[in-house]
Amino acid sequence: MKPPAFEYASPASVAEAVGLLAERGFDAKILAGGQSLMALLNMRLARPELLVDIARVPGLDSIDISGGCLGVGAMARQRSLEFFPGLADSHPLLLAGLRHVAHPQNRNQGTVCGSLAHADPAAELPALAVATEAELVIEGPNGRRSERAEDFFVTYLTTTLEADELLVEARFPLPAEGSGWSVQEVTRRHGDFALAGAVVTLRIADARVADPHVVVFGVGAVPLRCAAAEQSLDGAEPGPAAWKEAAALVAEAVEDPLDDVHASAAQRRSVAGVMASRAMEEAAARA
Amino acid sequence: MSSRIPNSLEELPVSEIRWIGKGVERLEDPSLVTGRTEFIDNVVLPGMLHCAILRSPYAHARIVSIDSSAAEEMEGVYAVITGSDAARLTNPATTAPEGWGGYCLAHEKTRFVGEPVVAVAATSRYLAEDALELIIVEYEELPVVANAQAALADDAALIFEEHGSNVMFARKFTWGEVAAAFADADLVVADDYHWNRLGANPMETFGCVVDWNPADDMLTCRGSFQSQSHMGLARSLVLGLPSNRVRMISHPHGGSFGGKGGFRGVDICALLSKAADGRPVKWIEDRLEYLLAGAGQSWDREYTLELALKNDGTVTGLRVKLLDDMGGTAEGFGAVSAAKPLAAFTGCYAIRAAEYDLALVATNKVPQSPYRGMGPPPHNWVLEQTMDKAARELGLDPAEIRRRNYIPADAFPYTIASGNEYDSGNYEAALDALLDMADYQKLCAERDSARADGRLVGLGLVNTVEPGVFDWNAYAIVGMESTGVPEGITVAVDVMGRITARLGFSLEGQGQYTLVAQVLADYFAVTPADVSIVYQDSLSAPPHFGPGGSRLGVAITGAALGAAHLLECKLARVAAVLLQCEPDDVEFMDGFLRLRAMPEAKVHFAEVAGVMLARSDLLPEDSDPQPQATYVWTAPGRTPADEQGRAKSYLTAANACHLVKVEVDPDTGTVDILGYWLVDDCGTRLNPVTVEGQTMGGIAQGVGAALLEEYVYDESAQPLTSSFMDYLLPSVYEVPRVEKKALTTPSPFTPLGAKGCGEGAMHTTPAAIMCAINDALSPLGLSAREVPASPRRLWKLLHENAD
Amino acid sequence: MGENKPAKVAVALTVNGRSVSAELEPRVTLADFLRVDLALTGTHLGCEHGVCGACTVLLDGRAVRSCIMLAVQAAGHEVTTIEALANEGELHPLQQAFVDKHGLQCGFCTPGFIMAAAELLERDPDPSEQALLETLGGQVCRCTGYEAIIESVRDAAEKLRQQGVGPLELLAAALEKKAAPSGDDTGGNGGGE
Repeated sequence: MKPPAFEYASPASVAEAVGLLAERGFDAKILAGGQSLMALLNMRLARPELLVDIARVPGLDSIDISGGCLGVGAMARQRSLEFFPGLADSHPLLLAGLRHVAHPQNRNQGTVCGSLAHADPAAELPALAVATEAELVIEGPNGRRSERAEDFFVTYLTTTLEADELLVEARFPLPAEGSGWSVQEVTRRHGDFALAGAVVTLRIADARVADPHVVVFGVGAVPLRCAAAEQSLDGAEPGPAAWKEAAALVAEAVEDPLDDVHASAAQRRSVAGVMASRAMEEAAARA
Repeated sequence: MSSRIPNSLEELPVSEIRWIGKGVERLEDPSLVTGRTEFIDNVVLPGMLHCAILRSPYAHARIVSIDSSAAEEMEGVYAVITGSDAARLTNPATTAPEGWGGYCLAHEKTRFVGEPVVAVAATSRYLAEDALELIIVEYEELPVVANAQAALADDAALIFEEHGSNVMFARKFTWGEVAAAFADADLVVADDYHWNRLGANPMETFGCVVDWNPADDMLTCRGSFQSQSHMGLARSLVLGLPSNRVRMISHPHGGSFGGKGGFRGVDICALLSKAADGRPVKWIEDRLEYLLAGAGQSWDREYTLELALKNDGTVTGLRVKLLDDMGGTAEGFGAVSAAKPLAAFTGCYAIRAAEYDLALVATNKVPQSPYRGMGPPPHNWVLEQTMDKAARELGLDPAEIRRRNYIPADAFPYTIASGNEYDSGNYEAALDALLDMADYQKLCAERDSARADGRLVGLGLVNTVEPGVFDWNAYAIVGMESTGVPEGITVAVDVMGRITARLGFSLEGQGQYTLVAQVLADYFAVTPADVSIVYQDSLSAPPHFGPGGSRLGVAITGAALGAAHLLECKLARVAAVLLQCEPDDVEFMDGFLRLRAMPEAKVHFAEVAGVMLARSDLLPEDSDPQPQATYVWTAPGRTPADEQGRAKSYLTAANACHLVKVEVDPDTGTVDILGYWLVDDCGTRLNPVTVEGQTMGGIAQGVGAALLEEYVYDESAQPLTSSFMDYLLPSVYEVPRVEKKALTTPSPFTPLGAKGCGEGAMHTTPAAIMCAINDALSPLGLSAREVPASPRRLWKLLHENAD
Repeated sequence: MGENKPAKVAVALTVNGRSVSAELEPRVTLADFLRVDLALTGTHLGCEHGVCGACTVLLDGRAVRSCIMLAVQAAGHEVTTIEALANEGELHPLQQAFVDKHGLQCGFCTPGFIMAAAELLERDPDPSEQALLETLGGQVCRCTGYEAIIESVRDAAEKLRQQGVGPLELLAAALEKKAAPSGDDTGGNGGGE
């Protein structure tokens, strides 16, 4: 299982990287952490003509808090974010979600932005991005643009990134005061991709659910933000009845769930609801 | 061979046993933990080329044409071969049953996805894989036989046209008065079951480096070989080489679990080497190749099992019907796995009437290969799960129904209905020890209370016989009728007081070299560090087979002790000369040959060795001057199989009793193992740490079998399980902590009373987990009868009431 | 497949304390570079798609899967492999612990486990059960059923705590001693070793 031949470039700036992408289009592929890409290369399922390694672009590995957001640069390793000082206080949901991502050995190399750009439907980071209303900062030949996470993911392994665009930063808004959160997922083994998972954040204000965010993942082509479930939760009295109603709406909202050896489509639909329900309960307990 | 092998530790010529029975530091380990051990992929030879294999993308297809010209012209490519070369230069593989094999490269047609079609040798594996992409193969698809049922259809396409059918083997074996047992039964309990393919998946895949020297026609094969002599003979037959021109050099393996054979790879590399003017050719099977088409798929079974019972729970008859999907050829000896259950067909139970209705069919899947357990794990599952079903119907506790059916402790050696003889055992003691250790009553109460809360908690209590020390006659029903599996060791002592043992197998992980060192250390009163184990290749080693069928620990103990004793006799003859007495007056104790009547008159074996080497003039005329001896151990008392396959085959019968507590999550279909207890008895534990390691490894594989591991094919026999993303090996999180207790019922037949134990827990764990799951589901009237009990299957059962 | 052969790339890195440089096709994996070009065959290939962990090495002290890294990605970095641990025949405490607690059977996965454990214990000398499982959970063993591996890593942690040193700290000290200007022979170090 050896990779096919390719050219290799190690640009020293974002502009240079984007220039290479503009020149070569979809024949070029960004190499950040390589945890998704390299396996595909070894299996010869991906055959880029040019790998653009962005590891040597200075400053791309930044992680900082500014403007009420946690900004994670394109080369920031998942493990670096996991160990970012104070993350347990500033963004416990991200910390918890990261711990579900594969294994530490992968997280040491893999990047947060790389996982987002790869857009595996069963991955945790895209779901976290959608649930937290993260903003993706994208650099292209014509300059910089921003996109909401929810719009970024188009379908299975596909984002709105054009052939000549580079995701340079993901900005995760810090959670509001008193936010409760939860990540629930079912996997065959610890660290595997999720058969079905849910991310929920909410607050309790005046003994009522406020500002609910409900996202399920692993069940369709992209993370699914369940508007109907959120509407049902908004203003509801926290408790099993609310969770049950919202969970049913989650299950209903799932479109074309994946059907494979690990779980059937019907199962994924149902389990999505179950995960959402458990996540709501846990988020409420934390709020 | 005649040599008095000590039967017990007391008979060893030392006043204190210092090493046997202890978990000593392994000789193998310093090299392994420093990464120095020479696994086959470490081997680099001058001029070595690398092989890559182009494989069939179709399950069943005629090969219309192959255009490899572009590959041949590529810089760095030195040889390209196809099935026509294989057909021209080699003989088809030997198989069991006979006649269901092909060449190392598909010739004229392919029979499974992944079958090798073209092979390339180039200066690097990277280049070789590039070359494959330049090869154009034209196929004409043939109708696919996707599973065993399809194989039996009247209009099924034929995998081997010349046989006129896809049935490799079909026979019903009847032992005892089966019809009467069922006719007279108070209750007949039956069920259907499905066990899906899984397989060995050692961390190291197969690999070899082969060179075929054109000057002297000598074939040298280095590789990850489990049984080098066996493989060497087969190479000789297939490649048409004289048996003494094939040298197999076995390297330490990164695990095997049954399947490290890889004959196709060796033969392909041999032909490539021949085509490349004798340059060595290396092939390292990568993981995708292993999963796709390696020796990694086993046990693709549909079972119907029936028990005939009396109202008190006594089982009077057992009927097993098995349809086993062998895959595209019989080259992997998958048939052997269907025969081995005869060695322990009725488990721990005194069931006198049994029947085995066995059909082995060819389909367009990968040929089945050996995997730890070699067939009984699914058999034990279906037997134990049906026992539980019977218990439920009769209102008996699972422990009780088993207790009532055990072969009594005083009935050993016990010949079971299917012909094998169990050497010793005390099943009731194991059960009682387990119930006590786990506080079974309390567990039952907790389970019942959880059940009352609506939780799906279950307990699985199973017991099995784990046969050890295989012989070929166990597989007589599928055409292997001989007996005799040798293992020889040459033991030499030197003038510095060190011991050297020469043998014919390489390491797989079971600590076999350490075991030999322990045994010899307690014979010659040295330390294991004073013993050097020297591996010898197939042309140099004493007669050997190597690991397999839980035999090697027992076999090498016998061989080492036998050789030690023969050597002791030789040394005594020389000592008699030095001590001026008769050889019969000399005894060996704590490293010294001494006058029995006056022990102060003694001489150390190192001194005797010195005399033998330097003063052959002093030695009796007919004595061999070398201070070494060779002994070949084979299991005693093996009998040829009769027409119903009955034979004394596996020499030892270890037994185990496992108890598992699980919880099934009805919302997700997932299973959590909440507790695991076991009592096992494999006779004398020559190295208890090794045994425990085998047990834990077997449990891990058993968990994988029950819950995670499966090769899935679609309706066109296209494999869907292509990587470790889909074939799921248990991690540290999935393997439970296990509370264990060992009982010791020594074998009366083996040196020092040890029983074969390497395959161990794999026989039992899948059954234990499945029985626990079924106990959890029983209040809902549901039963899980397909392995693995994946979330997909369990959820479907729970929510769609379907299988 | 392009007509032109892609250019080789110059790579310079440190491996087990030694400077190494080479010209490679960029597609060569770090694992293959270590095993083939540098003959450091203690790092093993079990799956070549980043799941089993047999290929685990340390990159700047972090455990990574060398089968899904390119050698060129390691340029300018420090790679540590299993071969760095033993010190002139004396086993590193991590290695000794695996021997003492029988944390291996066939040994193929063992270098990977040891390197992963090295990172953990350097950072966390007294890891919780959860931390231990988290690291070990990323490595696959087919022989041991893991129980003895857990014991081995715990024992290594204990041994190192008693010595008051981290596993990588110990390595660094040994390397420093070797590099001391008292007749060391580093010799040529260009063109890979």
